Amino acid sequence: MAVSKVSGVRLAGIASAVPDHKHHFSELAGTFGSEEVKKISDSTGVVERYLVPPGMCTSDLAYAAAEKLLAELGWERSTVDAVILVSQTLDYVLPATACTLQHRLGLSKGCAAFDVGLGCSGYVYGLWLASTLVAGGGLRRVLLLAGDCSSTTASPEDRSVAMLFGDAATATALERGDGPPMTFVLGTDGGGRDHLIIPASACRVPRTAETATRTAREGGNLRSDQELYMNGAEIFTFTLREVPPLMKAVLAESGTTVESTDAFVFHQANKFMLDHLAKRMKLPVEKVPVVLARYGNTSSASIPLAMTDALGPRLSAQRQRLLLAGFGVGYSWGAVALECGPMAMPEVVRVPDEAILEGWEAPAS
Amino acid sequence: MTQRDFLAQIEELVEAPPGSLKGPEPLSGLERWDSLAVVGFIAMVDEKLELTLSAQKIAAAKTVNELVALVGGRLSLDAA
Repeated sequence: MAVSKVSGVRLAGIASAVPDHKHHFSELAGTFGSEEVKKISDSTGVVERYLVPPGMCTSDLAYAAAEKLLAELGWERSTVDAVILVSQTLDYVLPATACTLQHRLGLSKGCAAFDVGLGCSGYVYGLWLASTLVAGGGLRRVLLLAGDCSSTTASPEDRSVAMLFGDAATATALERGDGPPMTFVLGTDGGGRDHLIIPASACRVPRTAETATRTAREGGNLRSDQELYMNGAEIFTFTLREVPPLMKAVLAESGTTVESTDAFVFHQANKFMLDHLAKRMKLPVEKVPVVLARYGNTSSASIPLAMTDALGPRLSAQRQRLLLAGFGVGYSWGAVALECGPMAMPEVVRVPDEAILEGWEAPAS
Repeated sequence: MTQRDFLAQIEELVEAPPGSLKGPEPLSGLERWDSLAVVGFIAMVDEKLELTLSAQKIAAAKTVNELVALVGGRLSLDAA
């Protein structure tokens, strides 16, 4: 078990951004029937979500969140020593999308930038990387961007994913500071590869006309191998197997308890699973924010977005003891016990279509 | 939990009339035994029997009795 205690870092603020296009689950009644979509919405807890219009990418949302946060903090751009982007829906695999964000944000050329390819666990891993860069790496300030446009990877004809995902990206600012250490516990089980996967997403399964074609799968769902596959039953059993021990470990390692923790912010996977986990681990319901109804499952953005939406006013005014836990694709999981606040917690930014960065054009030959 | 209680839980998940499931029913014949029902089943067994089932074993079950067999040892005898 990877345990990491990181001292000398403070969270200075969090900003979250969503595309300015709100959608309601009833829009899919035409495809699946109104009874079915209601049933799915009741189980997943997703009522509304924000979806990117064609052309809008993760970095457009990340840029908007970062700009909002930098303005709130009044940070001099040249003081940012690193920008990290956690995402599995990159603008570009090559070059790293974080590099393009260094440029767009006008950060200095002395800034380190790189992408991190994780989803559900991504924010916790991102906090771990960013905080260790400050604590052990001598960096002054790090901008951690985390988000996804998962809606673009889900087949609208596959009932297991069509209504689940929302799009969002977030920015978290870290700098040197005092306070108790952040305690991280991390883990991985790559045996879960096939249960949450986009098969033809890179080199192992090359993209062809065949992999781009939707075919009928389990339960009549239509999906291509370039679209996301999720085995709900496998992922649920994985969660039940790994998350309670993870929580126990991070509480023990950090010397905190359920009683001493103000809120447990889980990756917002689906309401049914979160409610069951909270009950299983005997967590008071009022300490477990669930924001799925408004945003859907936003992958690596879901934990910071839940902090913005459900804990914003509290975190902007007072110190809070939080336990964050992300688990899923990989399988990968991580939890952190930390204290933060008061800090900059602006309201959710809605990103207009005008913010879409102009696309690439082939150079004139 | 007795076997009858267990069957009653499955009846609730698949929206079957109480008392209607006896055991030999093929799962493929239960319209509501879908992916949501399977997840509900895993949750019910976890909560009520404190057992985490294997998703693979559930997928391999063909009848209601085969679901019962997955937890058999944990069920108490039905009242005579």
